[in-house]
Amino acid sequence: MKKLLALLLAAMMLMSAAAFAENAEKGTIIYGSTTELGGDFAPGPWWTNGSTDKMVRDLTNDYGVAVTNQGGEYVLNPTIAESVESVLNNDGTKTFTVKINEGLVYNNGEEIKAADFVWPMVLSCHPQLTEGTKLSGFLTYEGGEEYHDGKAEFVSGLHLIDDYTYSVTIRKDKIPFYYELSYVADKPFSMKYWLGETAELHDDGEGAYLKLDLEKAKARLEEARFYAGPDRVSAGPYSLVEFDKAALQATLVKNENYAGNFEGQKPEIEKIVVVKAETATWADQIKTGAFNFYDTIVDGDQVNAALDLVSAGGFDYVQFDRAGYGMLNFQCDFGPTQFESVRHAVAKLLDRNEFANTFCMGWGGVVNGPYGTGLWQYQEVEEWLDENLDAYAYDPEAAEQLLIEDGWIYNADGSDWTEGNIRHKKVTPEEAGTYVHNVTLADGTILMPLIIEWSSSDGNTVSELLNVMLAQGEQTKAVGMQINQNVMTFTELLNYYYRDASQGDKYAVPTYGMFNLAVGFVPAYDQSYQWTTDPELVAQGYNLPRLYDDVLDWLSMKMVYGVDSDDTVTYLTFWKQYISRWNELLPELPLYSNVYVTLYPDWLEGYEQDSFWNFEQAILYATVAE
Amino acid sequence: MGKYIAKRIGYMALVFLIVSFLMYSLYNLIPSDPARAELEPMKRDLKPAEYEQMYKNLREEMGLDDPLIIRYGRWMGLVPDKHGNFDGLLEGNFGDSQFFKQKVIDVIQAPMSNTIFINIFATIMALGITIPLGIYCAVHKGRKIDNSVQIVTMLGYSLPIYIIALIFMFFFCVFWRVFPISGTKTAGAIYANGMEAFTDKLYHIALPVIVMTFASLGGMTRYVRSAMIDALSMDYIRTARAKGLKEKVVIYSHAWRNALLPIVTSIIGWFIGIFSGSVIVENTFSLNGMGKLYWTGLNNLDFELVLAIQMFYTVIALAGSLIMDISYGLVDPRVRVDK
Repeated sequence: MKKLLALLLAAMMLMSAAAFAENAEKGTIIYGSTTELGGDFAPGPWWTNGSTDKMVRDLTNDYGVAVTNQGGEYVLNPTIAESVESVLNNDGTKTFTVKINEGLVYNNGEEIKAADFVWPMVLSCHPQLTEGTKLSGFLTYEGGEEYHDGKAEFVSGLHLIDDYTYSVTIRKDKIPFYYELSYVADKPFSMKYWLGETAELHDDGEGAYLKLDLEKAKARLEEARFYAGPDRVSAGPYSLVEFDKAALQATLVKNENYAGNFEGQKPEIEKIVVVKAETATWADQIKTGAFNFYDTIVDGDQVNAALDLVSAGGFDYVQFDRAGYGMLNFQCDFGPTQFESVRHAVAKLLDRNEFANTFCMGWGGVVNGPYGTGLWQYQEVEEWLDENLDAYAYDPEAAEQLLIEDGWIYNADGSDWTEGNIRHKKVTPEEAGTYVHNVTLADGTILMPLIIEWSSSDGNTVSELLNVMLAQGEQTKAVGMQINQNVMTFTELLNYYYRDASQGDKYAVPTYGMFNLAVGFVPAYDQSYQWTTDPELVAQGYNLPRLYDDVLDWLSMKMVYGVDSDDTVTYLTFWKQYISRWNELLPELPLYSNVYVTLYPDWLEGYEQDSFWNFEQAILYATVAE
Repeated sequence: MGKYIAKRIGYMALVFLIVSFLMYSLYNLIPSDPARAELEPMKRDLKPAEYEQMYKNLREEMGLDDPLIIRYGRWMGLVPDKHGNFDGLLEGNFGDSQFFKQKVIDVIQAPMSNTIFINIFATIMALGITIPLGIYCAVHKGRKIDNSVQIVTMLGYSLPIYIIALIFMFFFCVFWRVFPISGTKTAGAIYANGMEAFTDKLYHIALPVIVMTFASLGGMTRYVRSAMIDALSMDYIRTARAKGLKEKVVIYSHAWRNALLPIVTSIIGWFIGIFSGSVIVENTFSLNGMGKLYWTGLNNLDFELVLAIQMFYTVIALAGSLIMDISYGLVDPRVRVDK
């Protein structure tokens, strides 16, 4: 027995030495991801959108006609497009004619032609192939809906002009749109790989359509999306050569046929291996060589652990601002939070700088509007924002004054407010609504108490800190405000937030005035419909803070649907007005916006990551130190 | 015996149906809207009318507006689906994973094989250590070695497995660098042959197996020890010794066979348990196993996946209980299981 154990131990020691030697290979990025790979490598909207799968997809599929640059701005990609011409048609639709460069090839050397860009657009309109997917192209392309509903045999808005030229006509209800370049952001995919040998794309002059054996094409799509191997056909900086489903590990190697990104940049890193990282043990994993790249570290204590690793040697880091923030979302149509003064008072009762500093452990800041500091819009008008937005600095006295001016001056019995009690305000029956804490005096006067019911999700460290600093804070009690924390699951919270009656009648009743939530921004900053005053749209889940303000609604729509894509000056004017109005009405109180850190091996040079410039884009510029 | 087994299988089918209905109803009580969750990330790309259209289509596609009993029937394969086919659990369709967007059966395969692979080693190692150790302690009851084993096994029994995992991880992975800290494969490794891949996998699962073995030592060792002490105190053991039989024969042929009966339940339970993964061990060591998959399914409200896993374990548990009952009869001739 003893001998057997000794032998086993010795064998394992030998194997460990061999394995650690392999892990130390310089020039290979071993990317640790806390989100595990699902193994679905079809383009995002087709089926799933897991963040690590998406990263692998983006590394393997590039060549978009329009792409986003380092600031998140849409730009044309000259590596792919020789020309893109747009014409506004008499019927209000807009046609983009794209001529692609000749000589572009996939990783297997096959030439890329116009048809490779068009068939995925036709697929997104296909009546049967879109079943079970999230494809919605049929709502964008002229004639897409008719094709989708089986009323037409072709998509009249998609045309294959010649081997290297195609055109896309966008429906009139989608025009004008400030981010209209996103309509031509399509990437090429090999039809042979994705739909099989027998599938064909045709255009007889009336529009493009697919000719295929439906069952075979469906089976091939299903196979192609999960397949990884040297013969997987793609057109990105890297090729996915292996995905080990049992180990949840993906291996990507440099695509030698890659023509470069929109700046002509090609990668130098030969190999990227994606492995699973565990939040609890990632630092030990990285120390022991399980991986050498840890992307977007969020928590302050993890950032500090990462910096310890940098100090110990062997690693470097890059920091960048989060494109979003954690916040308190107010319900602006009932209870005390329907009053602007109360929302402002809450803001002034919380020392947000201290909150952000404590929560993010020094790795975070505060924003004063619906933006992230990585947005190009913010960077363009930063000075103006600093001068014109209210920072709602911590000031309990000012908060109290706001409440007094707004009429929160009574005790529950109608007498003048006295210290130690909850403030009340005389409200109209409309303002009173169905708020449960209202008090009706003998003379019929309705008094609304300054009690805010707050819904927070369980196991949420933000809520815990917020409870200490705001809800239980002496300053809150001193001004006569009471904030009741109600802890629930996130699903439950969302049901109340959506007022989703389909999940139970209780959810339809306005109950909570504040919710703990977070928001993230994408390069196309589009807030349209988010402040709609149309009750039907609100019932569908738009304007969830229920802030009915015509100016904010108008600005949010005008900003994207009322400005031509080349008119940045007008766009920024609307953007500033929108941010300013939002800041004044304060439907949300931004609490913290993290500073993220990415840890990478010190042999990696030139790695620059940012809010809208992810690993898959930044790695193209990185080199291996000599 | 055949009649008894047929009767038990009949009961099992009934219990399975009841459990499946209870489980399905329970998950459907949780207020969530899978269609909304599915479309939420696309909301900012769609105009309201488009969102509403897709939302309605998706609800219809998912059958969310049908009554609970219809949805249950469809899931079980007792009611035809929207294409008019009976295609549910009873027909071998475990459903579709909402989170992975794949057939549940495809999602389960890799984690299940990992879990079985790990558990087989952990079970064999644990039984290989605990049974001889338990017997040895019983025979040497009250001596120093017995007391020491009692302390160590009590430690293993009392400590939560995540503490054991973290302690072992610190010493074996971070401090001594004997084992890899996570995963089942060396990152980016390209194997020359299957043997190399197998060895690498063995090497990666060594520490999780050791942790699982250590954590399970206490219970079984003490159980075997206790059963053996009881058996060794019987009159027939004294008789056997008085007859001048060798001590080995007394222990293994007389005492151990009689001590086996209560232990069989646990041993079979362990073997049935090789299908179920450890949520803690798999998450700590980043292993793609059933425990981790179950955890992922629950966290993402992927109920078809979770239900499929639970129904699979229900079948295993029911079959296991039948096997246990039958094995009693095999181990102990006094027990008759055909009535």
